[in-house]
Amino acid sequence: MDPSQAGALAFYILSALFFNSFVIIFVVTVLLAALDFWVVKNVSGRILVGLRWWNEINDLGESVWKFESLDQESLARMNKKDSWLFWWTLYITAVAWIVLGIFSLIRFQADYCLIVGVCLTLSIANIVGFTKCRKDAKKQFQQFASQTIASRVSSTIQSAFSVV
Amino acid sequence: MSHISDTIPLHASSQSDIDEIENLINTSIQSSSSTVLPARPPSPPRIPVSASPFIQSNLPPLQPKPQSTVQKPPSIVPSAPLPPLPPSSGNSAGGSISGTGFGSPPNTLTEPVWDTVKRDLSRIVSNLKLVVFPNPYREDPGKALRDWDLWGPFFFIVFLGLALSWSASVKKSEVFAVAFALLAAGAIILTLNVLLLGGHIIFFQSLSLLGYCLFPLVIGALVCMLKDNVIIKVIVVSVALAWSSWAAYPFMSSAVNPRRKALALYPVFLMYVSVGFLIIAID
Repeated sequence: MDPSQAGALAFYILSALFFNSFVIIFVVTVLLAALDFWVVKNVSGRILVGLRWWNEINDLGESVWKFESLDQESLARMNKKDSWLFWWTLYITAVAWIVLGIFSLIRFQADYCLIVGVCLTLSIANIVGFTKCRKDAKKQFQQFASQTIASRVSSTIQSAFSVV
Repeated sequence: MSHISDTIPLHASSQSDIDEIENLINTSIQSSSSTVLPARPPSPPRIPVSASPFIQSNLPPLQPKPQSTVQKPPSIVPSAPLPPLPPSSGNSAGGSISGTGFGSPPNTLTEPVWDTVKRDLSRIVSNLKLVVFPNPYREDPGKALRDWDLWGPFFFIVFLGLALSWSASVKKSEVFAVAFALLAAGAIILTLNVLLLGGHIIFFQSLSLLGYCLFPLVIGALVCMLKDNVIIKVIVVSVALAWSSWAAYPFMSSAVNPRRKALALYPVFLMYVSVGFLIIAID
């Protein structure tokens, strides 16, 4: 599992053994989770699956989601295991936080629910972002492929006519 | 024409992809010089995240970008063209691109990790300066916080909670949790308030703005942590409060109908006042 994601989860689970103070648990867990969010978004996403997403506001004041992906050649060369690992750790982290959230709900500890809520929000944001990015990449490639075929056909026809 | 398959550019955002494709069609039809698009060396894009130094000199010289890629707002430090400069020593931290890099149109996918970190950090600083300090862009709020980011607000809220919790002599955890929840929920509710009043503001932009406007209160809390005199605390907190409200005013007021300005601004002021009271009342 991605070390940063495991770190946040492990710290949260084990912290009760070592720390009495809720504040320290909260701050360190949330900091680790935020760090992990940034690492997954900017580093693991780029390396393992070649995707990146972010949000910008354009001149009209509308929010625009931007996606970037490597072109299809490099994407095809990406290690299948790497991308499988990436997607599965994303999902498993979110599920783990949901389970921990259920535990803290059962114990009626609202404080811990707060931590779980924050970490869950971050994981879900990453999942949604990368899923949208992957769909966008596929769509772009299809567009590009059809345009390439169309332009090739037209240039072939042109060159055929020029020879004549 | 085989040169099309050799020179597939990296895909940028879907907005500019249409331009990209048009360019391709135009160039292939005109059959002009075939080296418009940069050639890509056929190498696997392994980008190890180890701490190996970034070898910039191995990248082939960059070709001019034909397409208009992602529109970067002017305030982001452009990490876009990786210039063919001699490797700077600042790039040795974080990840690196293995020697056989892409050499294609620069974009954020292939930049070294250190560049990403620097870009994000500089964005935080520039957002802070735009929101909290006087500058000519304040009257055009749409432009000012164009690239919102939530890292600044996150750090400020955590820091404020820590400062409050430190000053509290009892119930430290509850103070922290209350402060964090109050600020986070308050920001969300205030944003919803503006949206429900029919205002034109983007959710995350407003969250980010309200978070950055906490900066004066953070400074106030720091000062109050050090000095324990009540009178000084009141003065410091009122100054910080006034500064925060002044910072938040143009953005909030321009987002709503002029007749509803007070409706939008009053809750913001109220939230900052309550945080101010928290700071004063902690002992």
